[in-house]
Amino acid sequence: MTTTERPDLSWLDEVTMADLERNPYATYERLRAEAPLAYVPVLGSYVASTEEVCREIATSPDFEAVITPAGGRTFGHPAVIGVNGDVHADLRTMIEPALQPAEVDRWVDDLVRPIARRYLEQFESDGQAELVAQFCEPVSVRSLGDLLGLHDVESDKLREWFAKLNRSFTNAAMTSGGEFANPEGFVEGDEAKAEIRSIVDPLIDKWIEHPDDSAISHWLHDGMPPGQTREREYIYPTIYVYLLGAMQEPGHGMASTLVGLFGRPEQLEEVVDDPTLIPRAVAEGVRWTSPIWSATARISTKPVTVAGVDLPEGTPVMMSYGSANHDTGRYEAPTTYDLHRPPLPHLAFGAGNHACAGIYFANHTMRIALEELFEAIPNLERDTRAGVEFWGWGFRGPTSLHVTWEV
Amino acid sequence: MTFAVTVGGNSVECGEDQALLDACLRAGVWMPNSCNQGTCGTCKLHVVAGEVDHGSSPVETLSDEERCAGMALACQARPRGDVELRPQGTSAARTANPLRDMVGTVREVSDIARDTRRILLGLNEPLTFDAGQYVELVVPGSGERRQYSLANTADEDKVLELHVKLVPDGVATHGWLFDGLAEGDEVDISGPLGDFHLPPESEDDGGPMVLIGGGTGLAPLIGIVRTALRRHPAREVVLYHGVRGEEELYDGDRLTELAEQHPNFRFVPVLSHEPADGYREGFPTDAFVEDVSTARGWTGWLCGPPAMVEAGVKAFKRRRMAPRNIHREKFTPADA
Ligand code: HEM
Ligand code: FES
Repeated sequence: MTTTERPDLSWLDEVTMADLERNPYATYERLRAEAPLAYVPVLGSYVASTEEVCREIATSPDFEAVITPAGGRTFGHPAVIGVNGDVHADLRTMIEPALQPAEVDRWVDDLVRPIARRYLEQFESDGQAELVAQFCEPVSVRSLGDLLGLHDVESDKLREWFAKLNRSFTNAAMTSGGEFANPEGFVEGDEAKAEIRSIVDPLIDKWIEHPDDSAISHWLHDGMPPGQTREREYIYPTIYVYLLGAMQEPGHGMASTLVGLFGRPEQLEEVVDDPTLIPRAVAEGVRWTSPIWSATARISTKPVTVAGVDLPEGTPVMMSYGSANHDTGRYEAPTTYDLHRPPLPHLAFGAGNHACAGIYFANHTMRIALEELFEAIPNLERDTRAGVEFWGWGFRGPTSLHVTWEV
Repeated sequence: MTFAVTVGGNSVECGEDQALLDACLRAGVWMPNSCNQGTCGTCKLHVVAGEVDHGSSPVETLSDEERCAGMALACQARPRGDVELRPQGTSAARTANPLRDMVGTVREVSDIARDTRRILLGLNEPLTFDAGQYVELVVPGSGERRQYSLANTADEDKVLELHVKLVPDGVATHGWLFDGLAEGDEVDISGPLGDFHLPPESEDDGGPMVLIGGGTGLAPLIGIVRTALRRHPAREVVLYHGVRGEEELYDGDRLTELAEQHPNFRFVPVLSHEPADGYREGFPTDAFVEDVSTARGWTGWLCGPPAMVEAGVKAFKRRRMAPRNIHREKFTPADA
């Protein structure tokens, strides 16, 4: 291979986590243009930023999954996102039955619709609401919480947990010596996990003796010889994967879709008038602001050359799907929300054998929630007295969304 | 070798070794998709006609039962010939009333309001239709077709009732229906057409309804209102008739009589340009907003000029009617 001169990436030294969390797009736009596979010092890791390089690595036989350092510090081992081979196969076999499309079709409407209705009833006559906290997040966590068997854990508690785990998981800044730059950033995640264990341990005790139809009960028992259950230490890291990403992201996806539509009032009206457009609106919403923006990684299993960069065996690469979905090589005006853009597959749910296991459930949860929202409040408007701010690099979505309507 | 893939009114070309999803997306036809690797099930759909090769669709995503039931994963399946697809979650088209060509005989032509005629057309064979649907008349000599809603209920199936408004210089009205049309004339008709009608009786819960007709847009509402009240005599129904001035109002007696039989039915004529004693003034859609504080759980029916229909949709949503319950006659009475 002819080695052309490597671009000067010294500007990356200045990039901080706070910059990325506030708005990662400018940095990644420059990465896509100058070095689609680049070492980013603050992250202490290589980063894949274009659609092509993300897809190539995520589906390459020369790479396997690895959890990011801050992710591993937060979840522990073996989390489904960071394991391979038999352990990954076993964990996928454990979680997939509840998420199979035919299975989800059986109950998703009866699960999510009443939950959406219940939250709507609490504010639909008020004429104003903050939809992230009052609707998107609660519907997201309640639906999955009930599925998992966490009926007795308040929605606000589930929201608090995902927020704490999120900040811990994305506490990614590294020193040049390869140490965590902000070790105290893991404290709130540790506190959340302690609380989770104090609540979930007794449930696990109960499910071991009295299995029921909740997902975690199945995780303990399915595929095990009679009288045996999976060790709780073995399933906790994957429980945390759920209590962070799976709880948080459908809420992010709904809220981003709504913000995108509010920016295109004529498209909002189209979707409100024709609910069959909701799945398309959601697909564009998660392309436009990908909920899992950059949270998972892969590691090379042999020396490889990707995008002109030679990587030794054992080199981790972070997958920046949120950046890949703004790749100008693929999307015209990617920063614009456009319901009618030429349809192309996006990477919001990842790719390869570690692609999201909850796509079908997540898509239907978001669809049903928005159907109920537009049905109950077809005259929804964004409250322009308040701005909309997005936050997050690992996980991204609007922090609040104030709306009004005539009652 | 390419095949035709038809989905929701679109037809795209698909190579024999190309996934159905890929062909649709490349042609700009959106369909749900997420993983594009056969594992998530988002792209599942019904194969209504023709055969597909499921390729490497995993059984976890597409079970054998689903395959037998005619489902496929669009991101994996390849066509084996021309195929017709139906997205998941859309119901099979209702068996529509069959479309027929027929000859009608003019039974009566009467001037009922300013520039407005009622035309009754007798049929030899009864027509099967739902109240609210429309027919097309062939304008003699020009081959042009014009659409007119039926004011009939479904059992009034031998004499069709149309309300026609004069369009200055219109080929159909100025040149024919208002000029020379006489009792005994024969008229070529096709119908019934359109989806502007009540749900089948078994699915009609008798919930409250509001109907707004502009000018001769009243016609289908007369059929719908009478059908709705026959099904549920005590249901809450409000019918607004919007016209420019009193001289354009018609069928007031008929509707007042209906209101006497059905205490929960109200008929409200509204005059937009020529105020007159005893009548509401303004646009009928504004009158609705004034009268009804919430339309949650109501169904709404709109037929009239496009601007009125637009305003009606906005008014209904403002009063929080669910958009899927808003019905509008989509054809525009065009006769220029
Ligand atoms: C809009 C909502 C969601 C989005 C955008 C999303 C996106 C993602 C992404 C990008 C990944 C990483 C894929 C990769 O590294 O290639 C992932 C992994 C995963 N997601 Fe989701 N997700 C969502 C909701 C859910 C839900 C509701 C569940 C479960 C009920 C779920 C379960 C999982 C699991 C188990 C993994 C790990 C898969 C593996 O490593 O084998 N996700 N998700
Ligand atoms: S898009 Fe996921 S199975 Fe086809």
